[in-house]
Amino acid sequence: MTDLPTFVNEPIGELRRATVRDELSAGMDRLRLPLRVPVWIGDGERHGQELTSEDPGNPDRVVAVSALATEAEVDEAVATAARGFARWSAVPAARRAEILVKAAAWMRERRAELAALEVRECAKPWGEADADVCEAIDFLEFYARGAVALDRGKALFQVPGERNEMHYAPRGVVAVIAPWNFPIAIPMGMTAAGLATGNAVVLKPAEQSPACGWIVVRALREAGVPPEAIALLPGEGDTGAALVNHPGVHTIAFTGSGPVGLQIIRAAAEPGAHHLKRVVAEMGGKNCVIVDSDADLDDAVPGIVQSAFIYAGQKCSAASRVLVHEAIADALLERVAGAVDVLVVGQADTFGIDVPPVIEQDAQARVERYRKIARDTGRIAAEATDGLPNHGWFVAPTVAADLPTDSPVLNEEIFGPLLAIERVPSIDAAMDRVEQLDFALTGGLFCRNPHTVERVVRRTPVGNLYVNRPITGAMVGRQPFGGNRLSGTGTKAGGPDYLLHFVEPRVVTENTVRHGLVI
Amino acid sequence: MELASQDAELRAALFRFVDVVPACRSLDDLAQHLTGFLGEVDDRPPPLEVAMRMSGTKAGRTALGAAAAAGVKHMAHRFIVGETPRDANGVLEELWRKGVATSVDLLGEATVTSAEADRYAARCREALDGLAEVYKGLPARPRLEEDSAGRIPRANLSVKVSALTPLLRPDAPERGKRDAAGRLRDLLRRARELDAHLHIDMESYDSREAVTELVLELLAEDEFRDGPSAGLVLQAYLRDSPDLCDRIIAWAHATPRGYPLLVRLVKGAYWDHEIVEARQHGWESPVFEVKADSDRNFEALTLRLLEARPSVRVAIASHNLRSIAHAVAANRAMGGDDGDVEIQVLRGLGDDLQQALATRGLRVRTYCPVGDLVAGMAYLVRRLLENTSNESFLHEQAAGRPLDELLAAP
Repeated sequence: MTDLPTFVNEPIGELRRATVRDELSAGMDRLRLPLRVPVWIGDGERHGQELTSEDPGNPDRVVAVSALATEAEVDEAVATAARGFARWSAVPAARRAEILVKAAAWMRERRAELAALEVRECAKPWGEADADVCEAIDFLEFYARGAVALDRGKALFQVPGERNEMHYAPRGVVAVIAPWNFPIAIPMGMTAAGLATGNAVVLKPAEQSPACGWIVVRALREAGVPPEAIALLPGEGDTGAALVNHPGVHTIAFTGSGPVGLQIIRAAAEPGAHHLKRVVAEMGGKNCVIVDSDADLDDAVPGIVQSAFIYAGQKCSAASRVLVHEAIADALLERVAGAVDVLVVGQADTFGIDVPPVIEQDAQARVERYRKIARDTGRIAAEATDGLPNHGWFVAPTVAADLPTDSPVLNEEIFGPLLAIERVPSIDAAMDRVEQLDFALTGGLFCRNPHTVERVVRRTPVGNLYVNRPITGAMVGRQPFGGNRLSGTGTKAGGPDYLLHFVEPRVVTENTVRHGLVI
Repeated sequence: MELASQDAELRAALFRFVDVVPACRSLDDLAQHLTGFLGEVDDRPPPLEVAMRMSGTKAGRTALGAAAAAGVKHMAHRFIVGETPRDANGVLEELWRKGVATSVDLLGEATVTSAEADRYAARCREALDGLAEVYKGLPARPRLEEDSAGRIPRANLSVKVSALTPLLRPDAPERGKRDAAGRLRDLLRRARELDAHLHIDMESYDSREAVTELVLELLAEDEFRDGPSAGLVLQAYLRDSPDLCDRIIAWAHATPRGYPLLVRLVKGAYWDHEIVEARQHGWESPVFEVKADSDRNFEALTLRLLEARPSVRVAIASHNLRSIAHAVAANRAMGGDDGDVEIQVLRGLGDDLQQALATRGLRVRTYCPVGDLVAGMAYLVRRLLENTSNESFLHEQAAGRPLDELLAAP
């Protein structure tokens, strides 16, 4: 088996070239909807119609018709995975890596269709959808290499007469509970980490994106992961709950909302059959961008607008508050407001739109609720309501200002296209506000004084701080991603330590002395 | 600037300082930024050590800030002719009297809102009016006012599409184009009324499609058939520039105009940006990575453009003596008059060259940026980068590299 070449990120589509845009559009033409998504356990596929996903921009369009996993199927999936674990964990790490790399190749060949599916099922605009598929490919390639390296174990101190070895063993069955906002990349990332290290995986995709979850399992099975080692359980919250509560599950990898994450962490405190459950959780954020008086507004304004409104603010990393030094607050607010005024809200399948619809009706209602709070207790500085489609879950991108410090708009995760701007007398005052938050996922700083940058770096609690650039768009291997405090368990997806959460270290010490001689 | 070319770390520190100067609120603030940047340089030359020591006290910082601000201002004045078009009048007039034409460029902050786009368009309109006024009273300079294709307007303004719309999107050229078209059409009309030349600059590759299509579509409209004189830019550092060159020439042949389309051939000023963007995304860079490839392509494009006359007019914008000499010689070899090719240089970078060429009877136009320091920072940093780049012709010439080496075929 030859060594894998050094990891490089999958190049995202160069959408500024018309030929590349045409390729993506052709992928959309090839997409035949609705897709049929099964409960998929071992060699058994059960189709059904209990669950559907629709295009958020046109809810009349059904994207997928899916079966919904029952509690009995959850049991069956975990039991099958236990058998699959015995077989898959015995496959050498290098061979497992080869299979994951093949899954990456399977996806690479279908990039346009997969991006098109995300455009339809989750209303991801083309550039974002394509980037998500690339990220899924990156996770496969990155963790494949990481697992091979991990398999070599770690060196220990050795003395005459004993041999000490430390290696990492897979833990067993991983339950993956995935979100819809990175509908292929995030489930693929958590699943690939589990599989690369020799675990079996049961994937429960978000109920909003079953077809994207199905793609993840298809890619892995087509590449040669044994069917018993990877199962798909489309379902809603109760399917996920049954799965994480199952005593046969060893590790739970979760990305999603804070309340669900806390529930999972509590449930996981209950021991499994013969083990303690481990939780890897990525939860919400309330991400702040600090703008110092010396910031270059030509960079800061587009950076802030992009961070807050790309994919309608539905990224855990999205900016939701701007804390700006009072010396330039008026200029910044005027320019951000003006930039938001010209944002185009539209269908995700249209190149060049700025803000797509939010994922579902509940989300639309939630963001509208926060918009009303902002209007009633503060001031709406900008809202792009022109040409807002009235069919589909669209929300006007909005900038709010002059809110009271205890406003829910400033303290709760909104997960939509609503940005609040606050003026602060100093960068230390801004940091005080950041420190009061429960969340600590991403943060931004626009500032050109190296001393100030250093001060903020030292004080910030966030998992990912971005200086003088937008705060979304973490790349595998370049910006390992994950938050602290109530934003998550501090794990870093796409980073050098991530796989350690899916394994347990084991140490073997052998006495090599026989009859007083070292043999 | 010599110091800056020597050491990459120091150069980075000084660029970062120059970049932040307009945003500093006080001399103290300035000094703190300066020492912050210099603090990151390992091996500081003695004058900078003195600066670091001065920063220990408030009075020291004020003095240091004042000195540094004056230094940056002085440097900026070399490249930027005035804060407003009116301030620039004296320079424009003086150049004309010396036999040098100009193209004025209004520096501005990035356009992110519609109001900013409107303000830029209004400034351009005022500048056109002002330029027409200044040039009206100046004496005749036949070399600058006509070639074999006919009359050449005196007043000349360069505009940027990225400043005329906040809606340029790389993946949707149509959007920015539509929004900029209204403002640009307005400027074309004004230029026609004043008989001024309007030149549309080219920027980064992200907006290349939008800008090219916008210009070619508007100039093909019936109302602009007889004017104004107008032009666009071809960037020789782009790998696909030969295709664009063909497209422009085909357009020009198919679209007879009162004033032939003026094509300004440049190497391109966004090289670092294009390389960084391509590397970060894993793309093949749209620009040649080896300078000699750009230089070679520049010469090839020069020939194709010169051969396409009289459907187009050609401006060779370069400070590279070989590139210029090549164009002048090629023009002569084709039997052209020296006035049938224009040489363009940048204010502050090509001043000596400008004078030498004008004295030899060539038609020279100097690109003159106008604007305040905040607005001009992006421009200034690009010019500084160009001037301190180790591969820059000017830098190598100043460093004493033998002329025959510098003039060797690329």
